[in-house]
Amino acid sequence: MNRAFNDRESQKILDIIKNFARKNSLFILAYGTGCGAIEIPPTITSRYDAERFGIRGAATPRQADVLLITGYLSVKTLKRVIRAYEQMQDPKYVMGFGSCTINGGMYWDSYNTIKQLDKYIPVDVYINGCMPRPEAVIAGFVKLQQLIQQGKALGWKHYKENLEWYRQNQQKVIKNWRMPDYNW
Amino acid sequence: MNTLVVLLLILFGGGIIAYFAYNIHKIVGDIWLVLVGFAASIYYIGYLDVSQVLNIHLAGFVLTLALNSFSWIFGLLIAVLLPLVALYSIPYMKGQDRLGWFYMLFLFSVGGMYGILMAGDWLTLFIFWEIMTWSSYLIVIYRRSEDAPRVGLKYLIFSAIGAYSLLTAIVLIGANVHSLSISKFFEVLPMHSLGFKVLVGSLMLIGFGVKAAVMPLHVWAPDAYSTTPMNYTSMFSGALSKMGIYGIGLIVINLYYHSGISLAGEIVAWFGAITAVLATYYALIQKDAKRLMAWSSVAQLGYIVAGLGIGTKLSVFAGIYLAVLHGLFKANLFMAIGAVERQAGTTNFSELRALIRKMPWTFFSALISVIVLAGIPPLSGFVGKWMLYESMITSGHYVIVVFLFLASVAGFLYAFRFLFGVFLGQEEKEFEHVKEANPFMTVPMLLIALFLIVLGTFPGIMFKYIARSMADLGFYGVTYKMSVLTNDWGQSINMQYIAASLVIVFVLFLIVLTWVAYKNSRNVTTKDIHTSGEPPSEEDNYHFSENFYRPFQRAFAFVYKYAITPVYNEFARGIEDFFQYVRRLYTGNAQTYALYVLLFLAILFLIAKNIH
Amino acid sequence: MNIWNLLLSAIVTTLLGFIIGVTYMGIRRKIVALAQNRYGPPIYQNFLDILKFWSKESNIYHGVMHHLAPLWMIAMAITILLIVPTQYGSKFFENLSFNGDLILILYLMPFGQLGMALGVGQTGNPNSAIGVTRGLSLLVGSEIPFIMALIAVMIQYHTTSVTDLVRIQQEHHTWIMFSSPFAFLAALCVLPAMFHAGPYEVIIAPAELASGPMSEFGGKYLGTMMSAGSIFMFAKLTLFVDVFMGGSTNWLWLIVKTFTVYLFVIAVGIIMPRLRTEQAIRRLWGWPLVFAILAFIQVALF
Repeated sequence: MNRAFNDRESQKILDIIKNFARKNSLFILAYGTGCGAIEIPPTITSRYDAERFGIRGAATPRQADVLLITGYLSVKTLKRVIRAYEQMQDPKYVMGFGSCTINGGMYWDSYNTIKQLDKYIPVDVYINGCMPRPEAVIAGFVKLQQLIQQGKALGWKHYKENLEWYRQNQQKVIKNWRMPDYNW
Repeated sequence: MNTLVVLLLILFGGGIIAYFAYNIHKIVGDIWLVLVGFAASIYYIGYLDVSQVLNIHLAGFVLTLALNSFSWIFGLLIAVLLPLVALYSIPYMKGQDRLGWFYMLFLFSVGGMYGILMAGDWLTLFIFWEIMTWSSYLIVIYRRSEDAPRVGLKYLIFSAIGAYSLLTAIVLIGANVHSLSISKFFEVLPMHSLGFKVLVGSLMLIGFGVKAAVMPLHVWAPDAYSTTPMNYTSMFSGALSKMGIYGIGLIVINLYYHSGISLAGEIVAWFGAITAVLATYYALIQKDAKRLMAWSSVAQLGYIVAGLGIGTKLSVFAGIYLAVLHGLFKANLFMAIGAVERQAGTTNFSELRALIRKMPWTFFSALISVIVLAGIPPLSGFVGKWMLYESMITSGHYVIVVFLFLASVAGFLYAFRFLFGVFLGQEEKEFEHVKEANPFMTVPMLLIALFLIVLGTFPGIMFKYIARSMADLGFYGVTYKMSVLTNDWGQSINMQYIAASLVIVFVLFLIVLTWVAYKNSRNVTTKDIHTSGEPPSEEDNYHFSENFYRPFQRAFAFVYKYAITPVYNEFARGIEDFFQYVRRLYTGNAQTYALYVLLFLAILFLIAKNIH
Repeated sequence: MNIWNLLLSAIVTTLLGFIIGVTYMGIRRKIVALAQNRYGPPIYQNFLDILKFWSKESNIYHGVMHHLAPLWMIAMAITILLIVPTQYGSKFFENLSFNGDLILILYLMPFGQLGMALGVGQTGNPNSAIGVTRGLSLLVGSEIPFIMALIAVMIQYHTTSVTDLVRIQQEHHTWIMFSSPFAFLAALCVLPAMFHAGPYEVIIAPAELASGPMSEFGGKYLGTMMSAGSIFMFAKLTLFVDVFMGGSTNWLWLIVKTFTVYLFVIAVGIIMPRLRTEQAIRRLWGWPLVFAILAFIQVALF
């Protein structure tokens, strides 16, 4: 019995089923960090209807699978994002919206926004554009679904393994790092 | 020697010796108390001869001591509670002064209760009734807290009202029946006029209703229950209030139903139902665990009175069952509150929070008691509730049953309020040092909790005694099964299947869930919650305790608008004003007094002349 | 009764209840989507959701009661499903229907809610506790008209057993919704509140309370809870159909009837805006109570 479960073939089949469920049921954390949040309502309402893909809003990080970083991320918000991300349950995915999360975008020289998101939390999919339209957002979700199906959306594992590196980067930016130690 | 007298001697003599024992040393007193508790309990259950009768001829009266099966079951409740409460009291009363005085009164009141149950005539009942009342009054004012005198006075006034109406009824009986024997009274009763029956019955019901805290005579109860030390409150609410229920049961069944005035019984049932609803509504807005449970006691007694008042076989059965059950679980709850008070130092909901990790055993026993209180299957509370409701539905009392349902559903609200307010919620630094209560406190609670669990699936354990006691109330041929309950229409439920189904599914999923999840499980603190990303600092506490049922209060604002206490206060003020006026008669002038004497004689003369 | 037969039929009934309940949830999402001019998710979407929650790898809990919370729910849901008669006249699907009655079912429902409330309480999330108090307050609103309707039916037919009610309806070829219409109306009016759907969803208000009682539950806990919720929903629908619409003799007919009732709940949910708690209680104690009193008068007079 036990050997049958640990068998590679059956594990593979199990993974395929799991990943199929994961990719077709993405609960997004309704946490609008920047101006990109305005693109979420059209994405999930009648016009573009993201629920076709099983994408739906979740109220709290505990229930959510996907964290959307919608646009620029100020240092102050980063702290909250980290906490929300760490409260989510594995496996969890992060999507970066717009050019602000890639290279700072129009805030490239701002003093209080972060320029490159994946230095602080692992990003699975970036969506280019300023702003990305709902079509682009849905395209991003489809990309994420492909990655999940292939078992490549492993940002959460990467974060766990390289926690120290991420913490260093985070603490470098956030000056008043007073995150409670009961957090992680 | 007569075994009934021996039991009374154990308790009253034990009480007096306890006074001196505590004056020698606390440990001597504690050992003596536990000894007396266990001795009385074991003697009652094992050695008491129910068939014995003792007649004492005293100054022209015959005082009779005799037990019957109906009173025996209430005695059993006391016998179960007494040793457990005695054990619990040792750590609970640590550090209090005047312990000898307290325990003497404690044992006296228990002796008074046994005396009431043994009373074969009304005079004996009244004597022991007064012993019980006075000793419990002195315990209410034992703690010299700020509001103790006020609370004690309230209790005393209402007890006095009850005692006077009881005494009046007894005098009426003595004058009309020419015998004070209880059994003889019920025998000859059908021959008397309707007016006599109603008058005596009402007076007695007022007397017993005070102790059973039936509205509108309940005013003393919430205050007295919450001011008294919790170890006595568990007897107070658990056993002493049952003396009122015992009396009401005697009166309603023997006086009303067996002599053909069932309407009076219905009215009693209505009083019970309204008590249950209103007391529940007041319980759920309380801000203190003690007061919440005190109001809950009033509400639960309302159910029992309603059950007895309906007067069918099943409803009386349910009433007695609920009475015994209430004694057990409410004693347990007050013990739990006492443990919390002792360990955490407060019972206020706005200060207490999240004691579950610190006091798991207390939580467990409180949880079981609350489930029994709320009547949720498969525990024993549901058995009583089921019988009560089915008896009312099958006998066509469908308006009363809706009221009781309302009280019961609203009862879930205060049940959750209590558990959440004391044991759940966000943890607070202030209570980090709190530890589980002394084993002497937790073990009695756990024993009661265990019994309540077993009784849910196998209520037949207790049905045996209740069925026997029903014969004394004139219900013959009561049948029962171990765990099958049947109503008057023939529908039945089987508690074994229900409990088995719930437990099997629960355990099955528990194993699956734990097995699948245990590897990556992480236990986090109550600070690690969804707070929209904002990490709460150590000082922040998001516990929800104020305005707990605000929407409910808003929806039922019309209920909370009225209360009986202001009416009583207004009445008292009116009396006071009246006597202020009367006081002016005493002018201090000898001539005025001479005038009064003359007027009095003139009136007397006129009356004497008109009578002939 | 053979114990193995009972176990087998219990497992089959639970599985069927689970499948039907979860599919109903999916259909509901589809219908809501269509009403909002969307395509909506496929109707098997909720199976995927539950599977995904069960395949979550980490598992966060705040204490023992939190860990136990969904178990109370599922024990309650399955037990009610076993007590409610699903198939009239079928020996195999008899389950526990002769061992419980209406009062028992009504009192079993709080078993799960209390258990969940305890788990919710231990998380320490104030939103959850607020959600629970709202749910309990609403319970007072919805339970009283519903109980009155059931009592009227019980007294009219001199039975408290659901199985007996189904038998009476099947033998007389009538539905109680026609013979005691006021009781039916009263029960129908409070039905959305019993499902916490429609205008009575203030308990889980996602934007306001962060999904209320569920806000700290994720992963396998939420998965179990969703499964329990689906089974419970189907059990409640079956109870309603049994009491008022004559029960059924086969699964297909049961599905048709329950779905019709569920469609009503969905429709009310789509049309009506959310009510505040006290408004909801007042509304539940308005017309439904009037209907329930009329049902009592009907019983008393006829």
